[in-house]
Amino acid sequence: MTSLPYPYTIRVDAEDKVRGKPIYAADDNRPGLLHAALAVSTIAKGRITDIDTQAASAVHGVRLVLTHKTMGAAKSAGFIMGGGYGFQSLQPMLSPAIAYRGQPIALVAAETLEQAVESAHLVRARYAEEPFGVSLDAPGVEVVHQADTPLKNFIPEIASGDADQALSKAPVKIDAVFKAPPQHQNPMELIASVAEWRGNKLTVHEGTQNAEAVRHGVATALGIAPEQVEVISPYLGGGFGQKNSLQMQTLLAAVAARETGRPVKLVVPRATLFHAASFRPESRHHIRLGAERTGKMLAAIHEVDAQTSRHDLFPGEYTATSSRLYGFGSFRGVERLVRTDVQTPGYMRAPFEHPACFAMECCVDELAYSLGQDPVALRLANDTDTDVATGLPFSSRYLAECLKRGAELFGWTRRSMAPRSMRAKDGSAIGWGVAVGAYPGLTTPAVAHLKADEDGCVVISIGGHEMGQGIRTSLANTVSRKLGVLPEKVRAVIGDTRAAPQHLTAGSWGTASAIPAAEDAADAMLMALAEMSPAGIADRTPAEILKAAGRRTLEVEVQRKPPGQPDEILGRLRAGLPSVAGPVYRSHVTFSYIAHFVEVVIEPGTRRIRVPRVVSVADCGRVISPRTAASQVRGGVVWGIGAALRESSEVDPRYGGFLNADLADYVLPVNADIGSIDVEFIDKPDPVFNRSGVKGLGEVAMTGVAPAIANAVFHATGRRLRDLPVRIDHLL
Amino acid sequence: MTADEQAADQAARGESERVDVTLTVNGETRSLAIDPRTSLLDLLREHLALTGAKKGCDHGQCGACTVHLDGRRIVSCLMPAVQTDGRAVKTIEALASPNGELHPMQRAFIDHDALQCGYCTPGQIMAAVACVDEGHAGSTEEIREYMSGNICRCGAYVGVVSAIQDAAAKMRRT
Repeated sequence: MTSLPYPYTIRVDAEDKVRGKPIYAADDNRPGLLHAALAVSTIAKGRITDIDTQAASAVHGVRLVLTHKTMGAAKSAGFIMGGGYGFQSLQPMLSPAIAYRGQPIALVAAETLEQAVESAHLVRARYAEEPFGVSLDAPGVEVVHQADTPLKNFIPEIASGDADQALSKAPVKIDAVFKAPPQHQNPMELIASVAEWRGNKLTVHEGTQNAEAVRHGVATALGIAPEQVEVISPYLGGGFGQKNSLQMQTLLAAVAARETGRPVKLVVPRATLFHAASFRPESRHHIRLGAERTGKMLAAIHEVDAQTSRHDLFPGEYTATSSRLYGFGSFRGVERLVRTDVQTPGYMRAPFEHPACFAMECCVDELAYSLGQDPVALRLANDTDTDVATGLPFSSRYLAECLKRGAELFGWTRRSMAPRSMRAKDGSAIGWGVAVGAYPGLTTPAVAHLKADEDGCVVISIGGHEMGQGIRTSLANTVSRKLGVLPEKVRAVIGDTRAAPQHLTAGSWGTASAIPAAEDAADAMLMALAEMSPAGIADRTPAEILKAAGRRTLEVEVQRKPPGQPDEILGRLRAGLPSVAGPVYRSHVTFSYIAHFVEVVIEPGTRRIRVPRVVSVADCGRVISPRTAASQVRGGVVWGIGAALRESSEVDPRYGGFLNADLADYVLPVNADIGSIDVEFIDKPDPVFNRSGVKGLGEVAMTGVAPAIANAVFHATGRRLRDLPVRIDHLL
Repeated sequence: MTADEQAADQAARGESERVDVTLTVNGETRSLAIDPRTSLLDLLREHLALTGAKKGCDHGQCGACTVHLDGRRIVSCLMPAVQTDGRAVKTIEALASPNGELHPMQRAFIDHDALQCGYCTPGQIMAAVACVDEGHAGSTEEIREYMSGNICRCGAYVGVVSAIQDAAAKMRRT
């Protein structure tokens, strides 16, 4: 049923969270637990020639010191984008090779955390160093055209028409280069594993977005059967892409637990995480945009250079979204990967879409000003129902509605077009900016198991991970409506490989994958209930029907795959491999959309940029959980403000690694940075995309915020700033 | 290491590296022999099974470990546990009334959806209660300023501010 908006249900797990219940992996403090700590590489590249663990081993309470020499038989679980399970193909501590600064070289397990930390500090390594490069323009880096790699088979280059010719003939041209820095996800929850062996069975408690990959990955690494491993991850303290695969520490904790015969808890410190897990790669965007004098966009060429590691090719998918923003007459996308000496970069909220929309939407604003056209009007005039890249129709696209409604809520008509034309009473410059964002509509297969009992409880076991987006509330709303039970009577078992296959939760596909499967399961249950109830099931709860039929419980299981996908995709799901379809489907293309309207205030003396007000209107299809969805959009806006004005991981060209590796120096938005954020949804279902009419939301929320801010800064100051983050010193 | 060596090791550690500390935690007197390097946060989490306070940075930069010490908010990761000897600590676990009824601030965080993943939430709530008690909840600007030691990476700040305004009114009435 997609015809009615869903109720504003209270977040179903909010009470556990406000009570501080022990729901995260590191809250485990069972008796007998050993605490682990890591020692890390102090060089940027080379080899360990000697590692001395004598002093470390002599610390009281130390039970084990592991290095590459003592890890035993273990292997890499492979790279998640290369047929494996890990965030990168390099598993630390399997060889003396050092690929980046901060790579773990030893693990200590001790009776207390204090002993483990002391011991890890005493591990001494000698190295043979090699030259390295850690940024796009460093000497010695290697540039690879993505189209020349096997990646082209699943990420085709975007090409439509003859963009170069159309550009050369275009009467109005914009040509600009934009830079986006490396950034770190920094979820509040540190990456942590508790590993415990019972006989030959391993249990891993870890906050992960991908319990199945952790399970299969650690099994592969240890050379044991996946049936010997279970991974339990009911809650994450934030993921944002960082926890989307097997991390480097899980195998280490598992080996330590096996060697000591004790459960081992390894909580990776914040500073270590800047080097021991993925990050958003540095990227550079050259955009050329050509238009008629009327504003009709004739051509766009978007060339990207994005950072990867030496050992993996982290794919670039920037132009897949920039090409979908407008009805460009023609489009050409180029993605180049630059091999640098870092851990493999990865997915961080709107990984490609945030920088791609930043670059394109700043260019569109420049186009509006060079034409003397209102930036909203120019965008509306270039809207399209047809995907330029494929010629297919969009399954739904309410971007124009987002722009119109946002402009209305924001009061856009009161804006004066000229830069530097709006001032506050205290002399601050005011700038109003707009930008849009988009994110691919992706889907994965899912298995849903539904159980109802005579007491009125309903349990849904399904693939999914709760990291703050509110998937439990979405599932409760869906099952509640279908079965006529209260949302609080629906319990979701997720993030647990014992309950159902756990596909990676990322890419904003969680709701669009789990909710249709939950509806299928509910239909199966209604059918089974109808069979046991000759009197009919109308207006009766499952519990009433079960009681009348003398049954205590009823269980059903369904599986669902994305449209147009072969059955093999269900095998990939069960094997813990990414099994993602979209955004291009056989008969349509699906994207989510958003429009952001931003006010910036720039103080006259300090040039400090404040963002007192944001209005965001999103098209994510049917909104399944309105309360948590609005929170998710506000969070995405906060991320956009951080990306526009604060966040940058500073690299150290002399010593490698990231310099600002803590939460004081990696500057995140705090409460005082955030003003009002008004959120609305179009809330029109997309029945072509799936039966529930739902599209993704978590990532599209962030896309377009940074360019709206940069455009507002231009409106306030007359200056085009094309390097993120925009800082005070850029305005002096 | 043999069992004997292990026992000797443990004994040595126990005698040479432990200090006694007695503090009141959530109204209950607790006496422990601890490694002097133990932070209050690790004492709560690893020794007393009070895991509501979270470790987000271990450097006093994020506020996820906020608890009350003698009625004032502190970041427990920066507080050596031995310094809490003779003092009173209150954690999120004791914020609700003994019958389980939520504190107005906890209720308000739910009502305003002032949380997402929940990891920073215990620290936010303990800081929020202190923010009101300190008299720093007079305006949205003041709340934002005095709540800026608690990072929420999910970005629930708008909800946090409305929750505090809502709860502050109720706390002043009681």
